[in-house]
Amino acid sequence: MNCREVLVRLDQFVDRELNPEEVREVQQHLDDCPPCQHMYRYEARVRRLVRHACSELAPASLRARILHKQD
Amino acid sequence: MEHIDGLYRTALRLTRNPADAEDLVQETYLRAFRFRDRFQPGSNLRAWLFKILSNAAISRFRHVSHETGDTSLDDMGEFDLYAHVVDPGGSLGESAENTALNSILDVDVRRALEELPEPFRLAVILSDVEGFSYKEIADMLDIPLGTVMSRLFRGRRILRNKLDEYARSPVQPSEGKGS
Repeated sequence: MNCREVLVRLDQFVDRELNPEEVREVQQHLDDCPPCQHMYRYEARVRRLVRHACSELAPASLRARILHKQD
Repeated sequence: MEHIDGLYRTALRLTRNPADAEDLVQETYLRAFRFRDRFQPGSNLRAWLFKILSNAAISRFRHVSHETGDTSLDDMGEFDLYAHVVDPGGSLGESAENTALNSILDVDVRRALEELPEPFRLAVILSDVEGFSYKEIADMLDIPLGTVMSRLFRGRRILRNKLDEYARSPVQPSEGKGS
């Protein structure tokens, strides 16, 4: 795969949506291509930031209210 | 109610305020309870609950705003979208970009997410925060797989631009600090 083919698949690669053969090809390219590797790391990092930023828990009062309504 | 935390934070991002988020989650559980006969045992309960939440949220959006659809965006071919991918041979400003992310706070990320137009926001949350697969999201929102991918692609691009913007702009010490 060349850089363009890899970048087109980068989202799917990070999202684990590629088939094993494509994963292998993308991984192989990333191992040898620092600019694409950088793009990959950036994408993965933003995903982690987003996940970390959205880690709120539901208030206990909400749980209680829902349980009460279902009785 | 093992899925309530995910439902709640998704509702928070969609409604942008805790009271409405609680209402939305409560509505989701009440609908799920009312329509529990429609749930197929053995299928994915979490995905089913998120589908109910998404439907409830979308119908709310339709009532309160003009963000009724993204047909024109969905009509864009994936190839067109991917044509915007950064040229890997170009100057990436690698270290600058990564360093910029260091100054991003959770509150900035949440703000950036909440500013995304609705169809993109929902897709990005379902994928990036809740970890649903493209197929699950497509089933949940009743849209084709390609539309899921284009919404994610567009949404993430907008998100990155916003994060980039926040990272570059100086801290605003006066904002939200009343005494």
